[in-house]
Formats: sequence, structure tokens, C-alpha cells
Amino acid sequence: MDSRAFRRFRRNKGALVGLFLVIAVTALGLLGPWLAPYDPVEQFTDSLLLANGLPAGPGVEPGHWLGGDILARDELSRLLSGARVSMLVAYLATALAVLIGVGLGLLSGYVGGRTDTYLMRLVDVVLSMPFLLIAIVMQRVFDAPGIWTICIVLGVLSWTTLARVTRAKTMEARELDYIQAARALGLRHFRILARHVLPNVIGPIIAIATIMVARMIIAESALSFLNLGVRPPTASWGSMLNESQSLLLGLPRLTVYPAVLISMAVFGFNLFGEGLRDAFDPKD
Amino acid sequence: MMRFIVQRASWGVLVVMSVVTLVFFLIFVAGDPAVTILGPQARAEQIADFKAKKGLDQPVPEQFMSYLGLMPCIRKDSPKYLRADGTRGFCGILQGDLGESYSHHESVANVIGYRLPRTLLLASLAVLFELVIGLTAGIIAALRRNRWSDTAIMFATFIGISLPTYVTGPIALLLFAFLLGWFPFGGYGVDPLDHIYHALLPALILAIAGAATYARVMRGELIETLRHDHVRTAKAKGMPMSQVVLKHAIRNALLPIVTLIGLSLPFLVGGAIITEKIFAWPGLGLLTIESIESLDAPVIMAVVLMFGVAVQVGNLLADIAVAALDPRIRLSD
Repeated sequence: MDSRAFRRFRRNKGALVGLFLVIAVTALGLLGPWLAPYDPVEQFTDSLLLANGLPAGPGVEPGHWLGGDILARDELSRLLSGARVSMLVAYLATALAVLIGVGLGLLSGYVGGRTDTYLMRLVDVVLSMPFLLIAIVMQRVFDAPGIWTICIVLGVLSWTTLARVTRAKTMEARELDYIQAARALGLRHFRILARHVLPNVIGPIIAIATIMVARMIIAESALSFLNLGVRPPTASWGSMLNESQSLLLGLPRLTVYPAVLISMAVFGFNLFGEGLRDAFDPKD
Repeated sequence: MMRFIVQRASWGVLVVMSVVTLVFFLIFVAGDPAVTILGPQARAEQIADFKAKKGLDQPVPEQFMSYLGLMPCIRKDSPKYLRADGTRGFCGILQGDLGESYSHHESVANVIGYRLPRTLLLASLAVLFELVIGLTAGIIAALRRNRWSDTAIMFATFIGISLPTYVTGPIALLLFAFLLGWFPFGGYGVDPLDHIYHALLPALILAIAGAATYARVMRGELIETLRHDHVRTAKAKGMPMSQVVLKHAIRNALLPIVTLIGLSLPFLVGGAIITEKIFAWPGLGLLTIESIESLDAPVIMAVVLMFGVAVQVGNLLADIAVAALDPRIRLSD
């Protein structure tokens, strides 16, 4: 990031709030499992299950700050260990999408010609696939849906925007004088792409990737919400929403906690990403 | 123009065919429909019987060609399997035959025809809310740029974009259906008026993200357009501001909105899977989940086909509409 973009970013209060939220939820994802006071799948049937069959509420039982969920597991521990799963999936899936999208975008924009035509048609095909549907079918294909398959499915289906933007920026950069010069000097194509073209296109890519993390958090929880992503008893914010859906009226807090965390994370990545975009590409 | 449309349409057919091919073979890897439909207790001869009836005992490439309609029918439950003269007819998608649902004991066309109007009702209400709320908010924000109402609207749109429906849906149910009792607690209702009443809350939830997007786009475009010469001329003529905005500025600002609506078409036709699930709205979205859970391959294929076609049609319509609205844009290849 050059210093002008950095200054623009620092003056944008929304972007700073976004950055703070991003750091907070990322830290939660990194440290969550260690901060969790209990094992997220351990059932405290003696202390957290009340006589009427409902779990204890927040603060009722000392040490269980947020009370228990319907299976008498420690709610706080589940939220914290769920943070790890949700953030891991979001970051890994985005990384995969960036790898594919930027790679193919650079190739398409730099080589041009027939390669470009075919790659862009591939983008059309992927865009015509119903995201959720394909994700669900793929989940059935890999019969044991683990965190890794979710990452692969989400990453493989969402690189298209990045490929298009990278391609467009690469085509612009390709015409720059010093890159033409590098080509005339006979530098290796890979070196030109990595050393000279990539720095020119990296700004918008970082912004889009940041917003994509938000979309991945949503996609992971959507899949888990439909019981097709992270499976119980493993906790993720989406699977917690899924488990609490039938208890919405009786125990709304079990829906509210993960809902607030998901919204905060998505909000943060969106704000941060938009701030980055404005910093790299100021319009006003 | 004609050449552009023909080119785009033929490319669209190609794209849809590749998606259909991909999903067809994906379903085969996903599992055995006969086992899923008949249950784990099914006897071997029941499964064999089901497979023979549906043509699932044939080689996969033949099943695929028959499904496309490039080879004679292999489904024994189809009337076209055996004609009066002893030959076999065609029963594939090229002949407009989507097949028989595995789990509904009805033709796929009937199953979809039954669900589609419900999804369309929900979708059209949602688009209505999106446009009314989004455009109004966007226009207000643009005209009151950098004042507190603009800031408030922009902040609200940001929250709107960031809240997924599985967060807003349950909370709305809790608030408006359970605590306040203004809306029913999900479901479809019994008569047309009741259907609309039941659709209001899910449509509103479905519209949040779209309305927020439209408001942001509208604001940006309108601010841009208000700087143009023809708008300044209109203002200089002494035209009232409301007239200037309505007659001169909005028309230009609508272009990207039209494109966005075109691009959202597949999601409107394909059904909102999560919203329909939360509100127990028995449309195409719920059908999609059900058919995937039971591996009802003909229905899954039909939904994929519809979605793919809707993406292509939506893209094409958006291009044509933009060209129609803006005479500067000429469609070419």
C-alpha cells in the first residue's frame, strides 16, 4: 500500500472501525479454543440442566457466563470454539479463491488471445451454476463433509469476480511502458508477472478478497444452517444457529449470540474492504 | 442488435448445457437415488425394480443421452418408452420432457408448475420492496448528500448488506410474529389474500440486501448525474428540483439498477432457499432442499436447468434494457 492510499485509509473512520472488528474476530478465531473455559462438546447435565428440562440461563451457574445450550453444553465455550471453525473456513476458502482467481486472471489478461477467450467462457459457466445448490450437491459427493471440503467447495465456486477484475487490471498494466520494456528486454514471463504486473493489480484484489471473507462467513454459516456444512456436535456459528432454530421462541438467546457474532464479523470485513477499495481507488 | 442477441443466446445455450452435464454426473457420484428414495429397509428386488423402471440400470452415458433427448427413451415409466408401433420415442429435455419425479409420483413439470407461482409471488413482492425502499432511500440520500439523513441511510444500507437472511429472518419472526403478532408464523395460507399476507414478512427479509444495494447504487449514480450539463440546464431554467430529479436525473441513474435487477433474476426464479426454509414457504427453494436430500435427480436437474436459463436470460435482458434506455449504447459483439 503506498503512502497516499494509507493516508486516505487512516482518515476513513468507518474503515478503521472495520479494521478493529476484523482484528477482533480474527483474534477470536485464533485464540477462541484456548479462551474457551470448557470443552465445547462436554455436557454438564448436573449443573446446566434445570429441573424443567431447560438449560440454565446466563450467569445462573458460576463459571458458565452465558449459560448452557439445549444439550447442557457451555454456550460461551461453543461460541469461542465455533469462532475458530467459522474464521478458518472463511480465510481458507478466500485464499483458495484468490489463488485460482488471480492466477487465471493474470494468465488471461497477460496472454490474451484464445487462452483469454476460453478462460472467460469458463467464468461464464461457473457463474451460471447455482452456488448453494452445487455446494450442497458437492457436500453429498464427499460423503464426510469436513471443514476442508467446505473450504474447497466455497473456494472453487467463488473465484470468478477476482478473475475478471485481475484480468481487466492486467490488460491495463500490460500496455504500460515499463512492462513493454521488460518484455522487450526478454525477461521471463513469470518474472514480469510476479515482479511488475502483480504489484499494479494487487490493490483492488486485496479489497475484493476482504469483502469476500465476509461473503464466505455468510456462505459457511448458510451451509451449516441448512445442516449441510459443519456437522454437529462440532460448533460453528452457523451450526449453532441451525441447532437453535427450533428453540427460537423458548430460548431466543441461543439464536441471538451466534447471530450477533456473525453479523459483527460480516459487518467488519465489509467495512474494512470498502475502506480499502476507496483508499486504492478514490472516486470522490 | 439481432446478431448480438443470436450470438449471446447460442453461447447461453452452450453454457447451460455444460452446467447441466456437470450436475448430471455430479449427482451420479453423490449417491444412489434408489437407495435414498426407497429407504435402507428396501429389498434388493425393490431396488432393482425401481432402477429398471427409471432406466437407472442402463450405462450412465446412455442415461445422459436419453435425458438430453438425443437417444430413444430408456425410462419405462414414460409413455414414450414404447410406442404403439413398437419403436421407442424420445423423452429428454430437448423434447421439453423433464421426466418423472422420484419422490413426488408426478411429472417434474407438474411439481415445478405447482411450486413456481409461490416462489414468483414471494419474489415479485421482494423486488417491489427492494425498488420502493431502495430507490427512495437512495434518492433521499443523494439529495441530502453529506447531511445526517444521508449518513444515517448509508449506515443503514451497510448494516442491511451485512445481515444474512438466516440472522434477520429468525429475529423478525421473533419480533413481528411472536411478540407483536402482526404477521403469521410462517407457512403459506389458504386463499390468495392470505398468501400475500403470509408472503409479506419473508419478502421484506428477502428484500433487505437488495434494497440496501439499490440505495447505494442509486445514491452514487444520482450524485454523478446531478453534475451533468443537462441537469444544470434544467435547474437554470427554473424547473423545480423535484421535476429535475424525476424527469432528467433518475432516467440515467436507473441504468445500473436495471442491470442489477436482470442479474438478480436467477435468484428470484430459483427461489430463496434459506428464506423459504425459515418461513416454511413451500416454493422452489424448499423443493430444492427436499429434492437434494432425497436425491430426486430429475427435480434437481430441472432446478439447475431453470437457474442456468434464468442467468442467461437475465444477463441478456439486462443488456437489451440498458441499450433501450440509453441510446448511446449500441449492442455489438
